[in-house]
Amino acid sequence: MKSALSVEGLYKSFGNLEVLSGVSLTANRGDVIAILGSSGSGKSTFLRCLNLLETPNKGKIVVCGEEILMKTNKRGENLPQDIKQVERIRTKLSMVFQQFNLWSHMNILENVIEAPVSVLKVPKKEAIEKAKMYLNKVGIYDKLNSYPAHLSGGQQQRAAIARALAMEPEVMLFDEATSALDPELVGEVLQVMKDLVDEGRTMLVVTHEMGFARDVSSEVIFLHQGKIEEQGDPKVVFDNPSSERFKQFLSS
Amino acid sequence: MVNLEYFSFIIDYLPIFFEGAIVTINVAVCSLVFAVSLGILGALAKLSKSRILNYIAQIYTTVIRGIPDLVLMLLIYFGGQKLVNLMTTAMDIGYVDINPFIAGFLTIGFIFGAYMAETFRGAFLAVDKGQLEAGFAYGMSKAQVFFKIMFPQMARHALPGLGNNWLVLVKSTALVSIIGLDDMVRKANIAGGSTQKPFAFYFLVAIVFLVLTSISIFILGKLERKYSIGVRKV
Repeated sequence: MKSALSVEGLYKSFGNLEVLSGVSLTANRGDVIAILGSSGSGKSTFLRCLNLLETPNKGKIVVCGEEILMKTNKRGENLPQDIKQVERIRTKLSMVFQQFNLWSHMNILENVIEAPVSVLKVPKKEAIEKAKMYLNKVGIYDKLNSYPAHLSGGQQQRAAIARALAMEPEVMLFDEATSALDPELVGEVLQVMKDLVDEGRTMLVVTHEMGFARDVSSEVIFLHQGKIEEQGDPKVVFDNPSSERFKQFLSS
Repeated sequence: MVNLEYFSFIIDYLPIFFEGAIVTINVAVCSLVFAVSLGILGALAKLSKSRILNYIAQIYTTVIRGIPDLVLMLLIYFGGQKLVNLMTTAMDIGYVDINPFIAGFLTIGFIFGAYMAETFRGAFLAVDKGQLEAGFAYGMSKAQVFFKIMFPQMARHALPGLGNNWLVLVKSTALVSIIGLDDMVRKANIAGGSTQKPFAFYFLVAIVFLVLTSISIFILGKLERKYSIGVRKV
């Protein structure tokens, strides 16, 4: 089976600080990979490198069999060869952000149809139909005319998930999707994410929710100082962690 | 009882006076369009990664904001005419007169572009980076992110400063009268001189400016509400 996403030897530095030191990973269709790690371990940076919101210094990223082509400029910086290719690949990788990042000047419906209409060139009528379906799925159909600022954090994040779904992506990237939420709102967003897992969607989930990682992921990756310290089936790694770091992390 | 006869001389001059008012409005609107364009370009240049663009924009805003408008206007208009004369003589073509209307709005636009550049720079910086990232993450091009996300969100932050600049700009149009443009102020001066009743016309000028600026403030309020859509009113 062709993998939905594969990464080989990803490196990323900010100045002299090396944040990722050769991370590799393969996500097959339907895989749900939970990426764990303490803050500063590079897990968010890793996710942001996959859709080139951050440009990795080295490494190979292949999305649905298509490698993102990189080049080195005169100053030795690693850059994408063709920004059009990057834009096309980004449409296959929908990201859900910690701070939701719903566009504040558009209402919820406009937020959900914006990228399908302007990027994927879906006819507006069709995009609205689909948007309504996805908003219904995440349970905020009644808020489609509201503006993001008038919604609770949990509702905003569910709207952001509907926006991600509307792109009909191959892989969904969740960047600490519940970390900015009040504790009582975390559950509703996790429930939506669990429903997506049940649908068989391919997901990479950077998270602090150990319960979610243990119960619904198909694979757990623990990052420490830019390297994978522990990797494997959640039932195995949670009950018998082989790395000292991961043991400490779980007990903290 | 007010003797209305006394004011009849104003009525005689009203058509000429309002011709001047139209010129004033035209100069102001053309200057605004030019200033906003320059301002956005200047702000983008200041925020760009290119060192050369940074320097050009920095010199532009520093020089223009550091010299009185009146002095700049004299320099650009009369200096510009001198330059044109030198060039036409050198190239052996006839005398070319700079159109005072074009010279007027270009000069005012050039001056206010520098202030606008700072207004827009602040407004661009005020847009949350995450809003733009979301656009890129969904495959939008740079141009799409700029026009669909950056610009509408920037507008909300820019409007208060832009409105302020506009009010100052409208009043600065009075300066074009010194370069011979027949705007409202110049007409009032002439009318005041020939009727020996200058204050009547100065008052009229003051009132028309006040009406223009009041209407502007009203429209700006509407615009601010329009661009604040989706933002919780505190």
